[in-house]
Amino acid sequence: MFSRIREVYDYRTMFWGLVTSDLRTRYKGSVLGFLWTFLNPLLMLLVYSAVFSLIMRSNIPHYAAFLFIGLLAWNLFSTSLSSASGVIVRQASLVKKIYFPREILPLAIVASSVINYIFSLAILIPFLILSGIYPSWSWCLLPLVLLFEAIATAGFALLFSSINVYLRDVEHVLNIFLMAWFYVTPVVYSLSMIPHKYAEFFKLNPITDFVVSFQGILYYHQPLRWKLFAYAVLFSLIILGIGWMIFNKLNRRFAEEV
Amino acid sequence: MAQVDYAIRVKNVTKKFKIYGERNQTLKEKLLYAGRAKHKEFIALDNVSLDIERGTTIGLIGVNGSGKSTLLKIISRILYPDTGTVEVNGRVSSLLELGAGFHPEFTGLENIFLNGSLMGLSKKELSKRVDEIIEFSELGDFIYEPIRGYSSGMYMRLAFSIATLIEPDILLLDEVLAVGDAAFQAKCMRKMEELKNKNRTIVLVSHDSNAVRRICDEVVWLHCSKIFEIGNKDIVIDKYNESFMEKQLI
Repeated sequence: MFSRIREVYDYRTMFWGLVTSDLRTRYKGSVLGFLWTFLNPLLMLLVYSAVFSLIMRSNIPHYAAFLFIGLLAWNLFSTSLSSASGVIVRQASLVKKIYFPREILPLAIVASSVINYIFSLAILIPFLILSGIYPSWSWCLLPLVLLFEAIATAGFALLFSSINVYLRDVEHVLNIFLMAWFYVTPVVYSLSMIPHKYAEFFKLNPITDFVVSFQGILYYHQPLRWKLFAYAVLFSLIILGIGWMIFNKLNRRFAEEV
Repeated sequence: MAQVDYAIRVKNVTKKFKIYGERNQTLKEKLLYAGRAKHKEFIALDNVSLDIERGTTIGLIGVNGSGKSTLLKIISRILYPDTGTVEVNGRVSSLLELGAGFHPEFTGLENIFLNGSLMGLSKKELSKRVDEIIEFSELGDFIYEPIRGYSSGMYMRLAFSIATLIEPDILLLDEVLAVGDAAFQAKCMRKMEELKNKNRTIVLVSHDSNAVRRICDEVVWLHCSKIFEIGNKDIVIDKYNESFMEKQLI
């Protein structure tokens, strides 16, 4: 495993090349271009907050702010996965013809989503302040939560991107799966709204921990709930390990199967 | 006894390809035909072992489908063997297919950095060599044009220049020289000789007996996925050419 990390590090120029080209081409050809990085979450926010504060009537104070925090955290995870799952197949011409550590492909997509998340903080933070939620010390924990969410996302990205080479359905099933996953994650509702008897079950969902941690530090100004976060850290490391292991196994026939 | 320094060690490598009539790629098909997917097996390499000492230049010859390219792809780690092991010591630069790792919309110059990064070089290392690469390729002002307008000869010039001027320890070439003109081919030969003198290892797949005779130290003749003959270049090449005369292998 360490030799693999070493090799990925050796290919860092290629890695950053992929990350920047992914960021640049994400909205390439559109009139508004890079502005979409900021517009996209804002428009999503508009839709969800219209539905859940006008029609479904959520009683969470500053609902839009609450929603925005969770939505961005969720987006980081879901856009990474839906883009990474097909990446090996999309880059078939590279995979077939030259050698490079293939992990780079899904990992670069996760990295560019993380950077995208950081950009969107430029919208989130002013938005929170405008909504009457002011910065506090607990906000400093954000990088820590972000780091482990990125690790967990990378694990899933490695897993799905490699399986998708052999089973192309993964890419398609994943989108439906992500939609369902979104609704069992407390993004549009809060953890406290879940009926007590199901609460433990919802906590098993690792993404819940990240979303709840983001909401905790940014919205509720709480320090991290350590037990919950420790579970998230452990989970993210395990999924990264499993994802990388399976990727390495399946990697052997990539050039033939894509 | 002094330890021999091997650049490449291929040990009992077997590689099979599955040939699907029609692939069962969706879940439904995989479940329906699980375990009895209609595929034939094709053995591309059959228990091949080959040790290449550092500093030698090896020519791989053989008819189409004999396993030359598969062997080269296994050495460059694009393909993994089903059984057996491959050990490669040093930085590998491979030129297996024209235009691999190039982006058609980028200029020649941008592609030098793209292609170099795909070979694991940093921007700094590439910046040092970029002038040399442009000069060697003789592309002149075309280097600032998007390469989708390049001819195959120009592609090859650029690709060869990058692959050789990044000073690899091991250079793998698969029948790419053929598209260059005579003058550039001669220049490529000189460049390869220069690399040889620097104790670099070269593995070359070629159908051009003269090129192989000129540049290689040893020749490996692959036939039907096996090493048929290995040894002195003149002896092996002569035998190879004779085999066509006698048509004993066709």
